[in-house]
Amino acid sequence: MIEKEGIPATRKNGADISKDTLQKNGCHQESGIRVRELKAIEFPAADTIWVEYHETTGNPVTDRIFAAFAGDQIVSLARCRRHPDGMDIDGIFTPAEHRRKGYSRLAVGALVEACHNDNLYMHAVRHLIDFYTKQGFIPIAEKELPPTIRERYIWAGGNLEGAEVQPMYRKAGLFF
Amino acid sequence: MKTFQLFNSSSLFTRTRALTLAVATVIALAINLIGMITGITVLLSHIIYIPIILAAYWFPRRGLVFSTLIAVAYGALIALILPLDILLIIATLFRMTFFILIGGVVSFLSAKLRESEQQLHEIIEFLPYPTFAVNRKGEVIAWNQAVEEMTGVKKAEILKKGDYAYSVAFYGIKRPALLDLILSPNPETEAWYPQIKEEGKKLVSEVFIPHFKEGKGIHLRIAATALVDGNGNITGAIESIRDITEQVMTESALQNTSSRLNTIAGIVRHDISRKLAGLYGILSIGVMKFDDPDVLFFIEALKDSAQGIQRQIDISREFKDIGTSPPTWIPVQETVLDAVGRLGIGGVSFRSWTERLEIFADPHLPAVFFHIFDATIKDTDGVTTVIITYHIRENGAAILIETDGAGIETGIKESLFTQRDERYGNGLFLAHEICSISNMTIRETGTPKKGTRFEILIPAEGYRIV
Repeated sequence: MIEKEGIPATRKNGADISKDTLQKNGCHQESGIRVRELKAIEFPAADTIWVEYHETTGNPVTDRIFAAFAGDQIVSLARCRRHPDGMDIDGIFTPAEHRRKGYSRLAVGALVEACHNDNLYMHAVRHLIDFYTKQGFIPIAEKELPPTIRERYIWAGGNLEGAEVQPMYRKAGLFF
Repeated sequence: MKTFQLFNSSSLFTRTRALTLAVATVIALAINLIGMITGITVLLSHIIYIPIILAAYWFPRRGLVFSTLIAVAYGALIALILPLDILLIIATLFRMTFFILIGGVVSFLSAKLRESEQQLHEIIEFLPYPTFAVNRKGEVIAWNQAVEEMTGVKKAEILKKGDYAYSVAFYGIKRPALLDLILSPNPETEAWYPQIKEEGKKLVSEVFIPHFKEGKGIHLRIAATALVDGNGNITGAIESIRDITEQVMTESALQNTSSRLNTIAGIVRHDISRKLAGLYGILSIGVMKFDDPDVLFFIEALKDSAQGIQRQIDISREFKDIGTSPPTWIPVQETVLDAVGRLGIGGVSFRSWTERLEIFADPHLPAVFFHIFDATIKDTDGVTTVIITYHIRENGAAILIETDGAGIETGIKESLFTQRDERYGNGLFLAHEICSISNMTIRETGTPKKGTRFEILIPAEGYRIV
């Protein structure tokens, strides 16, 4: 495999980021898990993780991607995408073998804190509504979503309940 | 002869044009005369447009009169030579009208073009900065009054001259000038200039010419750009020159003054520090020698004041280097971590989410964060968490430093970044000064009793996301 600058070749179920890169960027550590935002050059590592998540890919111009690391391996991801009329949270994904360890809470918590200067919107999977409520999100009606964010689920034809998702909103601001 | 009188010319250039026009007129009328005699009247009349267009283009003010005269001459020839019938009369009148019309239209357009050229010429001529231009062959096509005054070379002496005549006027030798780089990029030309910068479509450089101003020398800032035609092809180049001698001398004097002041300030700082060390010693002995609580309280107050003086000395040491190095692109996350490291405060949680942000700032940027952290943590109560984020806004970006704790009272906010010697010291003033070097500003927008919120506002061109 070809290695890119600062990002060693990836392996299945988790992208590697060099330890030097982690330390240099001053990651936030909790129980051996570090959380930080990825630089544009590291987006391909996130894309590798997201292959299992609808083959999502990051765009350095519009996206901010936050990753939880166990050692030098990405174990959870969350993305905030800038739309013309609002900020959309998606791409929250933890590979199957790393689930139920609280990694997603760390990645989403980092994203919410880093992006707290804007109102945030998302389409939450219904069984995770409580999880996002703890991060400061509240359920809203679909029509309250900014139009370009609403477009993501236009295929559901207004039946988001049937699609098992709930629009949610977090007002800008920090909650110490 | 008539044509010469009509255009009343005196210069060789105008006389040549008038002669050409006279010949063209005679030929056109002669061909038409032959045509009339041989019975061809339809196509040959178009030849008359040639002298009409030439006259209208070269002599726009007389174009209409000329076209009228030639139309009358054409009509007279028809009337004299051909048997007139109603159809021929109408056709001839139409042609005569068109001759006059074409002459009028071309005259009008040509006059407008001349007017525009004249305006452009006058703009260049009366520019306050010495300016000259060359065509593709390197021949001088414009040489304004200011450049005449600077070099002493008159326009009449240099117009149409090539072979680097303009360089002789400036540098005393035939050599390529900055505008030659526009016409043909050449490393040898670049070697004549110490540093060439590209500013948009301009090439800019600075030179020193020692023999100007009676041997005193002159510092010049030169800007060169291309002259292009409607299709975007380079047809020449123009060079504008500005005398920056005064500016260079002022900068040099300021640097000398700054250097001397720094030396004096360093000596004063050193002396005060020595005296302070002595004062600390005396106060320490005083604490051991006296046990009267009033005296001890008095000594403690003196110690506090001495510490305040020491802090001012430390800040003045940082002030002396600000702005001495040019601003550069700085990664914010590393800078924040550097400042946190210098702060050495345990028990406070710092969380910075600025990994992708780089800003164009003075190399002393770590001092900005250091003094903001210092002011928020040491001078406000109850701070346990500091969160640093960035926010992209319509006119730029903002770095936000937010804390919990008591916050800053509304009455103090106004004077937070001014020079003072009370609470918050001069650290925030220093931070403000460092930011202002690269057009950044700082403000405090926190809510009293809920925490502090410092915003560093960065102009659109002063940040990038990596």
